[in-house]
Amino acid sequence: MIPDIALPNLFVAQPGQLVLPVVLPLLAAFLMQPLARVSTALARGLGPLVLILSAWITAQLWIQLGDAPFTLAIGGFAPPLGILFYADGIALLFALAVPVFALLFWPGSGSGGDAVAGSGPDSNQADRDQAARRDALVLLLVAATTGLALSGDLFNLYVFYELAAVASFGLVALSGTGRAQVATFRYLMISAFGSVLALVGIAILYMQTGTLNLGQIAQLAPETLNNPIGSAAFALMLIGFGVKAELFPVNTWVPEVYAGAPARVSALLAGLVSKLAVLVIVRLLVLIFPQPEAAQMLLVLGVLGVLTGEFAAWRAKDFPRMLAFSSIGQLGIVFVAFSIGGEIGLLAGLAVALHHLIVKSALFGLAVRWNGSLEALSGAARTSPLGAALFVLFALSLVGVPPLPGFWAKLTVLIGLAERGTPLDMTALMVILLVTAVEASYLFRVAIRLYQDNPDPVAPHARRDLGVAALLGAVLVAATLGLRPVADVLGAGAAQLGDRAGYIETVFPSHVAGKDRP
Amino acid sequence: MMSLTLEGVVLIGALGLIVIGALGMAISNHLFRMLLALVIAESGANLLIVLSGYRVGASAPILGFSDPTTPMVDPIPQVLVLTAIVIGVGVQALAVALLLKVYRVYGTLNVRELRDRMDADVATAAGVEADASQDAPAGERPLPPVPARASGGAGGFGRRGPVTFPPHSDERRP
Repeated sequence: MIPDIALPNLFVAQPGQLVLPVVLPLLAAFLMQPLARVSTALARGLGPLVLILSAWITAQLWIQLGDAPFTLAIGGFAPPLGILFYADGIALLFALAVPVFALLFWPGSGSGGDAVAGSGPDSNQADRDQAARRDALVLLLVAATTGLALSGDLFNLYVFYELAAVASFGLVALSGTGRAQVATFRYLMISAFGSVLALVGIAILYMQTGTLNLGQIAQLAPETLNNPIGSAAFALMLIGFGVKAELFPVNTWVPEVYAGAPARVSALLAGLVSKLAVLVIVRLLVLIFPQPEAAQMLLVLGVLGVLTGEFAAWRAKDFPRMLAFSSIGQLGIVFVAFSIGGEIGLLAGLAVALHHLIVKSALFGLAVRWNGSLEALSGAARTSPLGAALFVLFALSLVGVPPLPGFWAKLTVLIGLAERGTPLDMTALMVILLVTAVEASYLFRVAIRLYQDNPDPVAPHARRDLGVAALLGAVLVAATLGLRPVADVLGAGAAQLGDRAGYIETVFPSHVAGKDRP
Repeated sequence: MMSLTLEGVVLIGALGLIVIGALGMAISNHLFRMLLALVIAESGANLLIVLSGYRVGASAPILGFSDPTTPMVDPIPQVLVLTAIVIGVGVQALAVALLLKVYRVYGTLNVRELRDRMDADVATAAGVEADASQDAPAGERPLPPVPARASGGAGGFGRRGPVTFPPHSDERRP
């Protein structure tokens, strides 16, 4: 389909341009190193340029093709054979979030706080190489996560997942400290073993159904996968893809990595990459594994994640690790929400996931400067009053204080659990209420410390770090004010996400299959 | 009673490799051994996928290279395994590179020593007191010193000149 994408008309997006948000960052990532040898300025500008272009194309497609899901057969091979991109409202929303958040946390411009030394304009050749390497890895991560959002083919999901994994290993290890490298190695081992399990799950699915196309597997799933073998495949893939999504037994890498990596990288990993992995798991759950055992498995693992994460966060003594553990807990709530199933479960899951994407990214943005122990933060409100105010805002929303979006997200989860009302659900409901108290306890402890009197507080935030957090805070407040439209968009997205028949119909349109033809 | 076919044997072998790999990763206390266990588990998974497309007596799935009357084995699993092997090799290479860097900084690849060192390191960087290790009494358990040459882990890849490894410190203390 080269003619479709040869000369992209940037003001009228065509479905064929859907590949660009994946291809452009990938291309730019590999061009980055040679380009940096020729011209540093060019290499530095390339990344933001590509990200803006990707975001623009995705936004165009979203606006123009909004509600109607469509597919793109890469290379022109019809669905069961070729590689398939599937775009509905949710996929495009996540595909749009990827370049936007990557731009917000773009590592360049040397505002300090990164562990990578000397990214200022007049640093030497080695530093410039390092910067180019880091930019290339971020672009690789962007390409891979966009691919995760769009891919409609099981093996492509695996490849993009591995690509995202390798890019994030590189980003964490690049900070250069020994502890970051040990953390990366453990992350790599857990992630690679998870990939082996996911691969075995994919092999089982292929043996059972003879296809890798998500639409076709969804078509065949009710007969072929609604059995113990199917459940085993789901368990394997859940553990495999759950590594990035910080699912309970395979999330032991989280605190080490987030404590060792630069705060920007943590923001990208905790905010963005985990959400894309969650999207993959939810797609698998909705399309391929409709049996109740699968949802129960997700519920139990989610509850365990909530419990372990929040209590560990309560015990944590430094800011990044507290955020990391609380991230585990929050993603546990996301899994609990998605396990409810039906429209309310999907709505609740999307709401909690997007809320966490905004809030946790912003908090890690604040951690760029506050990356030390919690003790040292005492009196920080004096040096960065806006930072402290933003922290309080995000903490309130995270705990779920009424007018803020976090409250409505949590309430939807609780309503969904209460509506289904099995003993397991009621336990989950109790657990979420309990950990809300724990959450409030440790977040407000930090807030109180921020406003303590201390003659010698920590250094203030750089303007750029605060800018990102303030922007995300503004988004949060805007969502509070415009709760109705946001809820409507999410509701439509949840309906589309849960629409299995719609997915199959989009991938295999019946009017093409020959039924309507004379 | 089903007799044990060739596929059955290979299937059991593949699952066995995965289990061996998983156990190896769980129980080894040396990072390189963990990596080897991972390689074993990966080859088990690859074997399993190849097996899923195997047909008895079929030829290789390459057009024009075999008698067109004989059936071919399913080409898709073969493609998948090729991709998976490539990805696996890439990840393993990255892991080995990381191991080298870890060894340069900490002078050991022993899991327990590394965990203690890292806990202390993370805590120092964050400016908080480290948690007491679970398998050591709090206070007295001095770690062997990090080789002086290895101080300061930052820097580009491979600009450090020839690698000279510090003396082997894999021996476990009583």
